[in-house]
Amino acid sequence: MSKIGVFVCHCGENISATVDCARVAETAGNYDGVAFSVDYKYMCSDPGQNLIKNAIKEQGLTGVVVASCSPRMHEPTFRKACAEAGLNPFMCEMANLREHCSWVHEKGEATTEKAIDLVRILVEKVKYNHSLNEIKVPVTKTALVIGGGIAGIQASLDIANTGHKVILIEKDPSIGGHMSQLSETFPTLDCSQCILTPRMVEVAQHPNITLYTYAELESLEGFIGNFKAKIRRKSKSIDEKLCTGCGLCTTKCPVKKIPSEFNEGLGKRTAIYVPFPQAVPNKPVIDRANCTYYIKGKCKVCEIVCPTGAIRFDQEDQIMEVEIGAIVIATGFTVKQPDFFPEYGYGKFPDVITGLQFERLASASGPTLGEIRRPSDGKIPEKIVFLACAGSRDPAKGIPYCSKICCMYIAKHAMLYQHKVHGGKSYVFYMDIRAGGKQYEEFVRRAIEDDGVNYVRGRVSRIYEKNGKLIVAGVDTLLNAMPVEIDADMVVLATAGVANEGAEELAQKLHVSYDPYKFFAEAHPKLKPVETNTAGIFLAGACQAPRDIPESVAMASGAAVKVAALFSKDELTREPIIAVVNRQAPPVYSSCVGCFLCVSACPYQAIEKEEIKNRNGEVIKSIAKVNPGLCQGCGTCVAFCRTKSIDIQGYTNEQMYTEVMALLNEY
Amino acid sequence: MVDLIKRTKELLETSEVKVVIGYEQGSGNKTRALFVEKPEDADKLIFDSRCVQNLAAYVTKKEIKEKGKMAITATLPVMRSIIQLASEFQVNDSNLLVLGITPESKMIEFKNLVEVEAFVHQFQIEIDDRNKEMLDRLEKMTKAERWKFWIDELTPCFKCYACRAACPMCYCSRCTVDVNQPQWIPVSSDELGNLEWHIMRAIHLTGRCIDCDACYNACPLAIPINLLTKKMLVDAKEHFGGYQPSLKGDHLMSTYKPDDKENFIQ
Amino acid sequence: MAEFEPKIVAFVCNWCTYAGADLTGTSRIKYASNVRIIRFPCTGRIDYMLLLKAFDEGADGIIVSGCHPNDCHYTSGNFHARRRWIMFRSLCDFTGIDTDRIKFSWVSAAEGAKWADIVNATVASIRELGPYTDYKKIAKYPEKEVTHG
Repeated sequence: MSKIGVFVCHCGENISATVDCARVAETAGNYDGVAFSVDYKYMCSDPGQNLIKNAIKEQGLTGVVVASCSPRMHEPTFRKACAEAGLNPFMCEMANLREHCSWVHEKGEATTEKAIDLVRILVEKVKYNHSLNEIKVPVTKTALVIGGGIAGIQASLDIANTGHKVILIEKDPSIGGHMSQLSETFPTLDCSQCILTPRMVEVAQHPNITLYTYAELESLEGFIGNFKAKIRRKSKSIDEKLCTGCGLCTTKCPVKKIPSEFNEGLGKRTAIYVPFPQAVPNKPVIDRANCTYYIKGKCKVCEIVCPTGAIRFDQEDQIMEVEIGAIVIATGFTVKQPDFFPEYGYGKFPDVITGLQFERLASASGPTLGEIRRPSDGKIPEKIVFLACAGSRDPAKGIPYCSKICCMYIAKHAMLYQHKVHGGKSYVFYMDIRAGGKQYEEFVRRAIEDDGVNYVRGRVSRIYEKNGKLIVAGVDTLLNAMPVEIDADMVVLATAGVANEGAEELAQKLHVSYDPYKFFAEAHPKLKPVETNTAGIFLAGACQAPRDIPESVAMASGAAVKVAALFSKDELTREPIIAVVNRQAPPVYSSCVGCFLCVSACPYQAIEKEEIKNRNGEVIKSIAKVNPGLCQGCGTCVAFCRTKSIDIQGYTNEQMYTEVMALLNEY
Repeated sequence: MVDLIKRTKELLETSEVKVVIGYEQGSGNKTRALFVEKPEDADKLIFDSRCVQNLAAYVTKKEIKEKGKMAITATLPVMRSIIQLASEFQVNDSNLLVLGITPESKMIEFKNLVEVEAFVHQFQIEIDDRNKEMLDRLEKMTKAERWKFWIDELTPCFKCYACRAACPMCYCSRCTVDVNQPQWIPVSSDELGNLEWHIMRAIHLTGRCIDCDACYNACPLAIPINLLTKKMLVDAKEHFGGYQPSLKGDHLMSTYKPDDKENFIQ
Repeated sequence: MAEFEPKIVAFVCNWCTYAGADLTGTSRIKYASNVRIIRFPCTGRIDYMLLLKAFDEGADGIIVSGCHPNDCHYTSGNFHARRRWIMFRSLCDFTGIDTDRIKFSWVSAAEGAKWADIVNATVASIRELGPYTDYKKIAKYPEKEVTHG
């Protein structure tokens, strides 16, 4: 016979203002199996918790129902209190009298009746609760960081510096990401590469970091602390051990006209190439899609000139399996590309470029060695227009959000232009200036006030060519929407920051959720910004939403701490809210018939086949078996098991059935 | 059926299989299942248009499985059932040989279930006109009329479970209806117990039923319970493009598409 | 005679709708008190037989609600649930069960106001439909409940 304690909380007046708490406690006290029932002002306070603890000890309670706030708020508190008094924490349930009752209904009979009902269903549920023990799983103390931009670099270094191993994979031939492409950085105008490249080198040299560039995640299995990742190391067509990075091959390669990704198409590269001079690792790869040998079967100039014989034309992709305990996703973002802006002529007019392209023009290592020259004829533009919100904050374009970094980099671009082109005129068309951040607003003011950048508040409707000029037609909303036309030599679009291509596919491989824009979703928008909903997988940088460098770095360090915390123990404990397949005495063994429809329904591949063998080792029955490490406890398998052989602890068939019964039947 | 008898004899003589499941003459004008274990009994085998019982219901039965490898006389619905059962890991090549009977009443012996599947996939599952009309008629009724129709039809049911026994897909060793902790389906054969039992049965067969009508044919009261599964078949086609039993095991109800369409979720 | 007060059971998932209903509370948005929430880990866990059980036991209306597509805490529980609901709802309708009494919805953890709207709309529509006498009758529900609601 159950001996259940019911503890009705007033929550100050939050509950008692609309619910007659004393009556709830009194009514509950009359239920079968309820041995103790009381109401109290603050159940979560120390005296309140002591009330529960003492009752457990003195009354020998076998179950507890705390009728107070949402279990999402205080379930851990009360379960802990129960455990401290010697009652299994999973024998404690909460009735949500505050969020689901007192706060949403007027004071009155019906509200108290509802409170009584809510308590009753939990009392009946508790009768079917079982003591459960936390699940302990071992932790593999190696982290996988996906993406070698600034976020991935920072996360890798931070984790490695806590003494744990890191595997960093990067899909491109070099780490560095978008930050390596930037000229100067706001709000200090220090050179991006100058601050980034030392960290890139540190990654390459760190004893705890294993770096694989030109590598991508192939698949992922497992669960927090115990992931198994397959990594595809794309063939670089060189033997990295033999290659000294002398660069002779890249100078001799006859294919020289491939648009350079690093220079955003404004410069050219060869088919065997190092993406940029400071690349890490500083060893070339062969771009097979553009290499004459792979296209026509002849050439091999690189092989002929290579002094160490490091070229490997027959090298194949390698699939590597690694065991890891945690993952940091730092795959970054991209910007909207041509044909998204037909009205701005992007892709049609060569001198309409993106912000990232402008970065390359302004960069000392870029195709113009830092001189602002327009792509069409190499002339220095005398008049330049920057368009903010090219795509961003435009629901019609499917991007209602603010890309966040553009206001700042546009101010930087305009400033750099004014510094480099004396006497040049620059205009910025903007919707609002969003310069929230330390020294950010001051930075924008400097552009306007010190460097004389002309800010025009309004949108540009179209850009067209006339007499060799780009006519930027817009309105100035601060001047009563007066039409404005500027005959510019060059236009820079602050194109929206969007999720990387393939982000969705990666999310599916990792079993993490993503938002409608395909950015990876954090577990909680405020309190869990670097966690995903999948335990053991964390987020850093712009893969979660557009982020600037300091934010990406902060997120990366945050994610690294989460990983380090996970790695601080040899095993981790998990809630035992998982599915189990029933087992019975031979010759039945289990009511499971082994149809394994649950296997295909399980989102976590947590159900496997278990073969029951007789003494001679012959298989007599195949049944489903849940891997407690993998199961996350959704219960999708439970709801459609025809034999009712699989059940979920904490939300069992009997518990849920009983709740429905109790809810509708007073007695 | 000379081929079938000859092959049955061979299979049993060479001990390639231990039992051949087929049809024999029953009482009156009926046929019934026959389990041939001795070559000399093979002569009792018959096959004609009266042989509509779905023999696949026997291949999961413990008593028959225990005999060793089976061969089965399989019409198209039986073959479909077998593929579905194979996708649910209930039969496989090592314990079952299929002696197919084509719609033209020719025997084909399949080397393996992959061949059976290929054969089965040449034919779509089609609901016959009479039943289509019946479904139409029901759907045109008002909700209250449908409710009355089903209460009237189902109330006489006395839960003899002949439908369950006849269905090849009802091979579960423990049916939900037999679970009493909790008691999902009311035990009594009243309006409620019968309605919920038949709803549950239809749902459990959704995406698995191959429309052989064995349940209806077995029902001593001729309750049109097959209309429930037929309705699910029509819906599966309408909402998810239909299904075919398949060895791949991509079951209709244990899979989903992110763009599954509905018009009732707010 | 007092106005008919329908009994409504809500089957909701823990991560979205339960949390959304919590938000309705923290936002102090008022709604009809006829609804009783039962918490499930996921819509994928909601056994359709429980819906029939609720009608057996005298519910006049049912709300089933969980995370929006793509938002499922378990990635795909709600996709599985949706497929099952499509078929189950159609089968119920085919047998004459009043599917107007089962409201399916997606309510996210951020949609506190939507939860209140869903409950209020359901209570209003069930009030209009009246007690679910058909089901209560076959469930041999106490006569007084049928007449007095």
